[in-house]
Amino acid sequence: MSDTQRFDRVLIANRGEIALRIQRACRRLGLETVAVHSEADAESRHVREADVALCIGPAAAARSYLDTDALLLAARVTGASAIHPGYGFLSENADFADAVEAAGLTFIGPTGASIRQMGDKITAKRAMRDAGVPCVPGSDGPLPASMDEVQVLAETVGFPVIVKASGGGGGRGMRVVWDAADLAEAVTLTAKEAQQAFGNPTLYLERFMQKPRHIEIQVLCDTHGTALWLGARDCSLQRRHQKVLEEAPAPGISPAVIAEIGARCAEACRKIGYRGAGTFEFLYEDGIFAFIEMNTRVQVEHPITEATTGIDIVCEQLKIAQGEALAIGQEDVVTYGHAIECRINAEDPFSFMPSPGTISRWDLPGGPGIRVDTHVVGGYTVQPYYDSLIGKVIGHGASREEAIARLRVALAEMRVEGVFTNLRLHQDVLADPRFQEGGVDIHYLERWLAERAAS
Amino acid sequence: MTGPSKLIPDLDTLPEIEEIGQIATWLAEAGLESMELSSCMGGRLRILVAQTPLPVGQDVIAPSVPQPAVAEPVAAKAPFFGRLCLVNPLGEEAFAPVGSTVRKGDIVALLTLETLQVPVTAPIDGEVVEIVGRADDLVGYGAEILRIRPL
Repeated sequence: MSDTQRFDRVLIANRGEIALRIQRACRRLGLETVAVHSEADAESRHVREADVALCIGPAAAARSYLDTDALLLAARVTGASAIHPGYGFLSENADFADAVEAAGLTFIGPTGASIRQMGDKITAKRAMRDAGVPCVPGSDGPLPASMDEVQVLAETVGFPVIVKASGGGGGRGMRVVWDAADLAEAVTLTAKEAQQAFGNPTLYLERFMQKPRHIEIQVLCDTHGTALWLGARDCSLQRRHQKVLEEAPAPGISPAVIAEIGARCAEACRKIGYRGAGTFEFLYEDGIFAFIEMNTRVQVEHPITEATTGIDIVCEQLKIAQGEALAIGQEDVVTYGHAIECRINAEDPFSFMPSPGTISRWDLPGGPGIRVDTHVVGGYTVQPYYDSLIGKVIGHGASREEAIARLRVALAEMRVEGVFTNLRLHQDVLADPRFQEGGVDIHYLERWLAERAAS
Repeated sequence: MTGPSKLIPDLDTLPEIEEIGQIATWLAEAGLESMELSSCMGGRLRILVAQTPLPVGQDVIAPSVPQPAVAEPVAAKAPFFGRLCLVNPLGEEAFAPVGSTVRKGDIVALLTLETLQVPVTAPIDGEVVEIVGRADDLVGYGAEILRIRPL
């Protein structure tokens, strides 16, 4: 395996705040950095501060941050021997990971095979189930032909259930069944529709989760057989499947329950030979955890886990890629307090349309327990070509209440002019009594926004 | 029908002087003083209209005679990244030294990436007036390599 070679110069194949975050971690470990960038990002802070900066293409990501050939050539011509993909762009592209290693370079992340396995929902779920990670309760395969057997199965899974066509997708060929009396008719109808629509009447069923929360487990694995889980995050506050605010740990879920899930995730990593940082995402409702997918990269919200565990996840990624063994064991992973991250986007606070433009004022908050991860400096121009994330404000405190209080002070201090931001949305969420109680579901924010729009 | 849109040059080729004159006429008719066009390849054309006040009482529809266009040098830019090579590796002669005349599409430099060589070409016909890039430097995409004044 080529995953234990040393490197001293890292090419950062990303932009924005995560590129700066990776650059800081490299610096801390005495590694040189190569900032490859698009023409639009020439004035970015991490580009100006990099040991080597190279413009590799125009603003369009397809010809810069997503251009595999250009990235590999850039690594060769700048003498970088490792590539950190960050998140987004090529970070979960198995072919890219393979190409990097085939070029004799180190990919700072899992193997292409791991990315491929986790990228396919069916193989990922199968691997997780085999490894003892809980998945949505269901038929685990096609429904039996006998309706009596289907009834028994559905009772075991628990109502409501969702009946789905094996060949379906995109929300078609599925039906929610709320109680046993309606099951037979629903199965017959869905099978008929599935035959007509997909030419395949095969059905399966799963427990229908109505108001789940999004809970995820951070893992960190070296190449010497150590796999750690670093606590849970609750990322239920979402809008159109985009996380808005995340917190660690997950409020109201007992640490013992999380520990059980965490241990299974770590065990699954050992079984599949996972390496580097990763995240297991679950839906959680009524005490049931259901695996959704694994993200095989560092996540936007990694700082809240760093705040509660004191572990520098990006530094650990780099050390693991150097072939080093993790210096700590699971018993050394101790979480302290509560951390919340607000994703600050340059967007209209009501329409949520991106708000590109030049930032004329950029006053950042500070004080105990406040961390700001951002690539933005005064005078920075938010480009229209990429996502609108301009920074992350992370509040940490001994308790959830303290974290919220610190964040509210911080957001009130923050001043951004020149572009619209969602700062006000975060302030309103943090002041919301239901949020303050903790444990809202993944639909809460959209319902809350709809009510706000109606009033 | 010949309308303004047909005459707006894409700057791959500079418009003929008559066309520039026509654009200038339209500018003057519209009461505009200048216009500037730029292309993604770095070509730039600025047309300035002479601002002569009309004699009082004179009913003149035709605009004042437009000043000739001021054609600024156009940069040949790197179409990729690589180490800059200004000398033809076969002939050991500079591709396009200052003072040389180049035609649009002529190779004026090479970007080398190990065995890969990417040509930098002249965006217009003209005379090389300045070499901006330094030989053997690692230059990025879009970097100016040299400037060419249109003939």
